[in-house]
Amino acid sequence: MRGYLWKRSLFAVVTIFVALTVNFVLFRVLPGDAVTRVSRIPNASPALKHALEVEFGLDKSLWEQYVLYLQQLCRGNLGVSFTNRQPVLGNLLEAFGNTLPMVTVGTVIAIAVGVAVGVYAAVRRNTLGDHVSTGVAVAFYAFPTQFLGMMLLILFAGVLPSVGMSDPFAVAMSPSEQFADVVRHMTLPVLTLVLTLYAENALIVRSAMLETLGEDYILTARAKGLSRRRIIWRYALRNAALPTITQVALSLGAVVSGSILVEVIFSWPGIGRALYDAVLQRDYPMLQGGFLVITVTVVVLNYLADLLYFRLDPRVAQ
Amino acid sequence: MTERHALELVNLNVWFDPRDHHGDKPAHTVKDVSLKVAAGERVGLVGESGCGKTTTILAAIGLLPASATVGGEVRIDGKNVIENGEAGMRSHRWTDIAMVFQGAMSAFNPVKTVGWQIREALEVHGIARGRIAVERTRELLDLVGLPSGSDAKYPHQLSGGMKQRAVIAMALSCEPKVLLADEPTTALDVVVQDQVLRLLVRLSMDLGLALVLVTHDLGVVAQACTRAAVMRDGEIVEEGSVDDLYRRPAHPYTRKLFESTPNLDDVRRTIESPGQTTPLLDVEDLRVTYGDLARTTRRRRWPFVTASTKVQGPVAAPTDAVANVSMAVAEGELVALVGQSGCGKTTTLQAILGMQPVRSGSIRIDGVEITGLGARAWRPLRRNVQMIYQDPYEALDGRLRVIDTVMEPLVVHRIGNDRRERRALAAESLADVGLDPDVLAGRYPHELSGGQRQRAAIAASLVLRPRLLLADEPVSMLDVSVRTGVLELLDRLRREHRMGILMITHDLSTAAAYADRIIVMREGRIVEAGEPWQIVHEPADDYTRKLLASVPSPDPQHHRAS
Amino acid sequence: MSEEITVTTRPDVERRRGVWGALRTAVATPPAIIGLIVIGLFLLVSVFSPLIKPYSTSVPSCEVFEPPSGRHWLGCDDGGVDMLSLVLQGGQVSMFVGFTAAVIAIAIGAIFGVLSGYFGGWVDTVLMRITDYFMVIPQIVLMIVVAAVWGPSLNHVIMVIGFLMWTSTARVVRAQVKSLRERVYVRRAVSIGASHTRIILTHIVPQLGPLLIANTVLAITLAIFNETALAFLGLSDPTAVTWGTIMEHAFERGAISTGAWWAIVPAGLCVAALIVGCYLVGNSIEDGLNPRLRSSYLSTKSWRMRPLVGRGGDAL
Repeated sequence: MRGYLWKRSLFAVVTIFVALTVNFVLFRVLPGDAVTRVSRIPNASPALKHALEVEFGLDKSLWEQYVLYLQQLCRGNLGVSFTNRQPVLGNLLEAFGNTLPMVTVGTVIAIAVGVAVGVYAAVRRNTLGDHVSTGVAVAFYAFPTQFLGMMLLILFAGVLPSVGMSDPFAVAMSPSEQFADVVRHMTLPVLTLVLTLYAENALIVRSAMLETLGEDYILTARAKGLSRRRIIWRYALRNAALPTITQVALSLGAVVSGSILVEVIFSWPGIGRALYDAVLQRDYPMLQGGFLVITVTVVVLNYLADLLYFRLDPRVAQ
Repeated sequence: MTERHALELVNLNVWFDPRDHHGDKPAHTVKDVSLKVAAGERVGLVGESGCGKTTTILAAIGLLPASATVGGEVRIDGKNVIENGEAGMRSHRWTDIAMVFQGAMSAFNPVKTVGWQIREALEVHGIARGRIAVERTRELLDLVGLPSGSDAKYPHQLSGGMKQRAVIAMALSCEPKVLLADEPTTALDVVVQDQVLRLLVRLSMDLGLALVLVTHDLGVVAQACTRAAVMRDGEIVEEGSVDDLYRRPAHPYTRKLFESTPNLDDVRRTIESPGQTTPLLDVEDLRVTYGDLARTTRRRRWPFVTASTKVQGPVAAPTDAVANVSMAVAEGELVALVGQSGCGKTTTLQAILGMQPVRSGSIRIDGVEITGLGARAWRPLRRNVQMIYQDPYEALDGRLRVIDTVMEPLVVHRIGNDRRERRALAAESLADVGLDPDVLAGRYPHELSGGQRQRAAIAASLVLRPRLLLADEPVSMLDVSVRTGVLELLDRLRREHRMGILMITHDLSTAAAYADRIIVMREGRIVEAGEPWQIVHEPADDYTRKLLASVPSPDPQHHRAS
Repeated sequence: MSEEITVTTRPDVERRRGVWGALRTAVATPPAIIGLIVIGLFLLVSVFSPLIKPYSTSVPSCEVFEPPSGRHWLGCDDGGVDMLSLVLQGGQVSMFVGFTAAVIAIAIGAIFGVLSGYFGGWVDTVLMRITDYFMVIPQIVLMIVVAAVWGPSLNHVIMVIGFLMWTSTARVVRAQVKSLRERVYVRRAVSIGASHTRIILTHIVPQLGPLLIANTVLAITLAIFNETALAFLGLSDPTAVTWGTIMEHAFERGAISTGAWWAIVPAGLCVAALIVGCYLVGNSIEDGLNPRLRSSYLSTKSWRMRPLVGRGGDAL
């Protein structure tokens, strides 16, 4: 038990470290205009520029810069945004706070729907129900996220809010009204996210179930006289959950890309949108910081998936 | 005179829909099989692979796939349970008829404890709940000889033998009248097999259980069953008491089966003693530690060492995989290395082949010391020692024609000046092993039977004219009737080509029938070595005696006496 | 279905055909055939697109956001350029980008996988650690950052996608090579004294063919998907005509507020159709190679009873 947990914890930590280093390399070392841009804030006073240069050690050797960079990170200093002159970390945390509810709701619903569809299709393998539901899933898997979002926008224009997280013109709303407002704004983004994510989950679950249904213990379960329902839920799905968790964790990349695109389309003020704006405005500190925050989040989520796997599979404990 | 048998198969027929070509006729896999089993009786269903024995019992418990059509009746205590198809069958499963499947390795749900799964059977069928269920589960596990506390274990924490017992316990949980067992001991060691078979016999006698035992091993039938039915091509060709079948087999196929099964009583007496002074293979004081083993081998080993039935008292964890092993094989000699799995015989062979680093000791092949040689130095020596592996179905690369596989060693060692020469040498080799090169050279492996494939693999090893041939269970994966052919081939080759053969086998009867000398290994050490006659009839060591006793002889009298 | 569920001595009937046989069978199934037809159609059309497209893609030929009509089947975009022509040309570039990026990714993944799986030991550990880190780091974000730093161009897009997408192939190939390494015929080749190169090239790589084909096709789906995502975020070459840039232009230049769905739908549908086609083919091959998907012990249909008429061997 200690072995597995320890290994996965170590792995998470090292991955974050690798991400930090990649971050550093991309922005400071690679040729391209980003090298000295850190200090080239538009309209900054020479004094600020100089101060930044010293702070980021652009006058020192690469190794020293790297160490300095790590030290800054430990202090929570990710730099200052070029666009709004605020500390990057603060900007990102705020944006993250906006992303979290929308993406969480979307992902959870996508997983639930995906599992339902996947189980249904696997149990009814090769029937019309299977072909139709799998076909629909493949189609939604194939549609680009932005396409789905744009289609929903056109369809629901006027009916549901299409921009932002809350009504900018509303004044003095009660907390419950505010809440309802946010929920209304969240509907289209979440719907888009669900449509784009559920399909991959459904296909993963279907595959995992099909593999599990071919295992010997399923035959034993039938021989034991257990009901179909019991076999499907207690034996097949319970065991299929293991490869599913692994695969879903691998598909976190899709969640990230889906969220970014959704936030751009619906102007949702989250971290994806912040990343997009940073690219547009060549706001390198924000870009760097955004990469870091998103990567760390994904690493943490992967680690949680590892823990869940450990909890569900007694064989790993050896 | 209609007595109600516990199980009665009446004109059972099974057809399978053809898989890919929907126009073909269905395959008639089980043809008019009728069998009666009384309570407390144990009937063996014997036959080689593909004869339909597994399909028969699957039909009896209604677990055939959707492509199957079933005709006939399956009567349990007089009532036909399959007349309503799958719908009517479920209520009878486990309570009236239960099954133990082949390969208990994956019969259990890996994420639930063994106890949970047995309790589930009790609860689902309304026999016991809660505390009573827990008690009953423990009783059942005790009944099959498992130590207390086994109910809290997960399946992967149990050894093969223990898992098989647990499966039997689970099968008996609802007190069925009939127990079907499909090759229940095939994957188990000979000693464990003996224990499981004894358990089945005891349970059948104590509980009045009707047992149908499906197996290809005549020794198992002789040991565990009172009656047997021989199946071939979906039909029962002969049926009777095991005694009758052994002593007076009526059907030619039955006779052939018995002839192909080596018997410990057929021990040969070596007439010629090899006069060679310098042995071809000389192993002295070989030692391989666990640390030297490849990681995969090590992982496979531990379950055996730690989770085995602790009946032998405290297990002194051996630090050596192989220790103090010395042996010699002379030209023209066939030496058999016998022992249970994990005893180090494969490791020894791997060391001789140079695939396994050794800690200390010496191995000399034809006078050349090979321990500690690097890969480069080994290359020219590879021509002298070749290995034949256990699995004939993967022994040949499916993408190469047979002739290409046999030619490959020549290509690698640059023997022969051009393709034609090499081809001729390869063809010669094929002929040597009994395969007609004109017919089979251009074929692909999948067009050959298992026995032919193993012969082709032998040809590919022979083509280099090795002096020493190592064989790792060369026939254990072949059908019984084919084994003799391959073993005779090995016998002939070593005499004609004066090759030395070191053969691993878990089957003492095979060793006794073909080897000049037998070496018994246990836990990495040699326990006893000597001529077959002496080993079989005057074993010196206790362990050897135990091995001998566990070998299921096809002679029922043998088991009656013990 | 074969008659015995598992038997000691008889091989699985499937093993006869080997991986290439499984490929042939998989490609003959209805989903795969549909997929191949779709891919074939797209290939044809995009190869001949310069000849087929009715109007120029650089010179406007109609009004801004003109709706579909008899003259312009798919209407026009915000610059007055015929949408059908744009989509046809975009297909050429999108498919080129997708294919090239996929091939790069598979090549890197295969090399990593073969070296890792065959040699094991420290080679395996090092390569797989690298793979693991790249797997966890979200690719799209890395792609965004790299594209932003390197600047927008089609070559950069291809390289970025290609150099970051190899991880899952590496893992899958490594697993396969590891299992192949333990096959008896490979061990025999080692014991004959064959060199590593010979073993890898003769015995291992040919067995990987179908797996690599399946992965390449599936990688194409990801590559095209990623290209559209990068284009949408403004990280692709704005002057290039790809399905991704078509959709991006539509979004940026107000197709939604105008309700000009024809500026969005064709490109989106094309991407979807091609991805579906590739997915069907790739998935069929993958399923065909996976022996564990063959049997299912729980299905909606069950075995049937047949009433006996008459007795004896020829009972009906």
